[in-house]
Amino acid sequence: MSLSDDFAFTQGSLADYADCARRFELRYIMRMRYPAFESLDPLQFEARLRQGARFHKLAQQHLLGVPAELLSRSLADDEELARWWANYLAHGLTNLPAQRHSEITLQTQLGGHRLVAKYDLLALEPGGEAVIVDWKTGARVPSQSQLRGRMQTTVYRYVLSRAGAHLYGGASIPPERIRMDYVFVAQAGQRLSLDYSAAQMRADEAFLSEMIAEIEGAHDFPLTDDERRCRFCSYRSLCDRGEPGSLEDFDFDEMEDGDDDVFAVDFDQIAETEF
Amino acid sequence: MASISLSRAQAELASAPLTGSVWLEGWAGSGKTSVGVQRILYLMERGIPAESILLFVPQRSLAQPYIRAMRGQRAHRGGQVYVHTMGSLSLKMVETFWFLVAERAGFRYPRDLPNFLSLEMVQYHMARAIEPIVAERDYFNSVRINRPRLYSQIVDNMNKAAIVGFPIDEIGSRLTSALAGGVEQAHIYGDAQTCALEFRRYCLAHNLLDFSLQLEVFRDHIWATPQARTFLRGRCKHLIVDNVEEDNPASHWLLLDLLETSDSALIIYDRDAGFRRFLGADPTAARRLRERCETKATLEGSLVMGGEVQALSGRLAAQLGPSVARANTADPRPALITEAHRFHPQMLDWVAANVDELVNARGVSPTDIVILAPFLSDALRFSLADGLARRGLPLRSHRPSRALRDEAAARALLTLARLAHPHWGLPPTNFDVVCALTTSIAGLDLTRAQLLAEMLYRNGCLLPFAEVRSSAMQDRVTFELGERYDRLAGWISRYVDGERADAIDIFFRRLFGALLSRAGYGFHADVDAANTAQNLVDSARNFRWSLDYMSRYDDDIDLGLDYVNMVDRGVIANFYARDWISDAEEGLLIAPAYTFLLSNRPVDYQFWLNIGSEGWSRRLYQPLTHPYVLSRGWQAGAVWTDEDERELNRQSLRRLLLALTRRCRKGVYLGYSELSESGYEQRGLLLETIQSLLRRLAQEGQDV
Ligand code: SF4
Repeated sequence: MSLSDDFAFTQGSLADYADCARRFELRYIMRMRYPAFESLDPLQFEARLRQGARFHKLAQQHLLGVPAELLSRSLADDEELARWWANYLAHGLTNLPAQRHSEITLQTQLGGHRLVAKYDLLALEPGGEAVIVDWKTGARVPSQSQLRGRMQTTVYRYVLSRAGAHLYGGASIPPERIRMDYVFVAQAGQRLSLDYSAAQMRADEAFLSEMIAEIEGAHDFPLTDDERRCRFCSYRSLCDRGEPGSLEDFDFDEMEDGDDDVFAVDFDQIAETEF
Repeated sequence: MASISLSRAQAELASAPLTGSVWLEGWAGSGKTSVGVQRILYLMERGIPAESILLFVPQRSLAQPYIRAMRGQRAHRGGQVYVHTMGSLSLKMVETFWFLVAERAGFRYPRDLPNFLSLEMVQYHMARAIEPIVAERDYFNSVRINRPRLYSQIVDNMNKAAIVGFPIDEIGSRLTSALAGGVEQAHIYGDAQTCALEFRRYCLAHNLLDFSLQLEVFRDHIWATPQARTFLRGRCKHLIVDNVEEDNPASHWLLLDLLETSDSALIIYDRDAGFRRFLGADPTAARRLRERCETKATLEGSLVMGGEVQALSGRLAAQLGPSVARANTADPRPALITEAHRFHPQMLDWVAANVDELVNARGVSPTDIVILAPFLSDALRFSLADGLARRGLPLRSHRPSRALRDEAAARALLTLARLAHPHWGLPPTNFDVVCALTTSIAGLDLTRAQLLAEMLYRNGCLLPFAEVRSSAMQDRVTFELGERYDRLAGWISRYVDGERADAIDIFFRRLFGALLSRAGYGFHADVDAANTAQNLVDSARNFRWSLDYMSRYDDDIDLGLDYVNMVDRGVIANFYARDWISDAEEGLLIAPAYTFLLSNRPVDYQFWLNIGSEGWSRRLYQPLTHPYVLSRGWQAGAVWTDEDERELNRQSLRRLLLALTRRCRKGVYLGYSELSESGYEQRGLLLETIQSLLRRLAQEGQDV
């Protein structure tokens, strides 16, 4: 298998592999982008994704010091977003340690590869709690056990425990001090918190290492047997896996977790012209 | 410390104390970037949080050695280094702190989001904003360049104003005051000024930000807010700046400010460079940073050039200006291989034969050879690729931007879009239909596609295969291909009948998913075609987003028709920045000379094509702008003369020759033909320089 030496695993790529090895191969090894529809109504799908992205941007602006009143004034065109925003202001930042880092990316090494996590917000107190906050704009609040089973939960807590020392006064963050808060801004700002432990960290490390080793050693990347996983996958026409799913069944919260790497987006506005 | 092998001087610079600023200069190839790369790794190893390090470069290709090294640091635990150009950084800052300043900055809708314009969207909006005036007042009627180039020079003027820091209403007067006569030219500058002001008014009225406005908002408004300063200064405790001579005065201004509050800085300056002057590079202004640095260091000599190339480098430079320090007394002739030809194709054959000899007889890796030309036309690229392919040598070509609309997959989608939207009144040509069918239907060759188009393309419609009456013809096409054709024609016909009004990007996606990506069609399992389709979708979607946003303030627009029109005119899907990271680093490279320089990669052998061409020394024809007159160092009231132009050509060529030879280890092959590609005699300054050097060397040989 040919992952480049500098390949970085993220919760997104690992979740893709867990869903379907073939999708992982197409997206990360072959780097094939595929513009087929992800869902039945592509424009609504896109609008919903942009709305989620705009919320995340608002939260980031607020955390970097733009006054809430100014940001609130910009939401006149979108009632739903304004409601999420009000919920964020009322509940989003309660019970969090004082030191805040928004939109920060951390990386550690696992199985000879980089493992990268991009956080919406890290709130820490050296010697005290270290809280990962993740904003969710989806229409459903999953159960605690569903959240525990998410790749995002596994990767985010593990990476912080391994790579967050410099934010924590230089000492490794004891897993017991790590908490992951999912805040559902579309659901009255409801918060679900997941604690962490040394035992869980060891289990996560074993799980992730095994998965990375499996990918490293893989020669075949079979199509998933569970065709429900194909419903929102843009490679359906390549794999001959039927028609796209309807929007109501899609979990946008799984799409919101940005995977970051340097220069992911090029927006240099001066062109490199030919001389 | 990680594994780059460094000299003692380099290692000392890389591991300088964690506080203090260092200015490092030297020739290209003296090992400066290696110091920069190692410095970042050193900072990280010493526990400096990566997110407090800013790597700042003028152009993203120049960050590649750093990114590669950082990605290679798999053992690193912690954050990530921020990597920015002035463009990406100012965009990020304006986007984040927009609501603090939008009103003050003069935007008509300060409570709405900003709309950042990609280069192609600048062109589009420029056309909308100024075309009525240009048509009404008959502007630029004496200028013989196409509209996109004309607009890009107006954009260029605005960018120069923002970069240098003068008001945009001074563009016309600055340009005119440097004229040594010429009423017509003064009019052209005046018209360019009017257009710039009109475009700026339009942007402010619609919350649009081109690069010039983005930069002005950042510098004049965002940077005045404590929130923005606190944020950026916190992220720039350690600065690594490379190729600062290729950057512009606005970048230098920001760096001077950040230097005040950073803990450490390493600023790297390439001597005898500054190639991006068209884009505002200002090596003189960059030297202001030197004065602010506590330590000034120089790396002497070259780690790249062999002795003969080094001698050649010095002798070539001396033909055009002052000698470079540390002149080498070796005989440069072994490093200079040339042969005169009468015709251009003979010269290309000679190049191919010599590349073949290097690779196949002397074992030189193709990645250690580069073929350079001042410009790289499609015809030249094709001829060379063909000649090399016949010798089993694959070519990879790199142009900094290439037109997406020229890719076969994109052209096919655009042709099918025209067929599916007859109300646009833009039926494709027969030739376009033939190409679209060949690209879209797997297994359909050109001959059969021509037959199909001749028999079944009528009045802008694709008729069903059953309309082919002759069974001999049906057999020639084959039933299987006929069936594939039928499904495509049927899909389009149903789309037309259904009177769907998909947005154009949605149309591309629908057709791609429903048919073209299925087994039996040309995009199925084809990585390149799928990626091209995705790029076209991205371009069309950006267009829609930009226009959706505009529709709040303006009348409605037929998005699909406008998009296709703009593509045809070379405005949209024309700039398509290619990713250096994904550019396979295998095979022989052919590139324009300046593009090669900015990839910062030395090679063993260089081939310089068309050395008789004026293109090696002459600047581009830009009737609406002037990079020197609009630069920071231009003295008000001075006049740009023909002598200035000649001197500029000499100095540009001198810098170019130094830069190229400093990226060459073993030898330079000079491709010369008396007649150019288009059949004209060639006598450019490079040819004169080489001939004069060869005469002098011959003379010296006799003297000895
Ligand atoms: S369509 Fe299904 S099988 Fe194919 S890549 Fe997607 S998830 Fe995997």
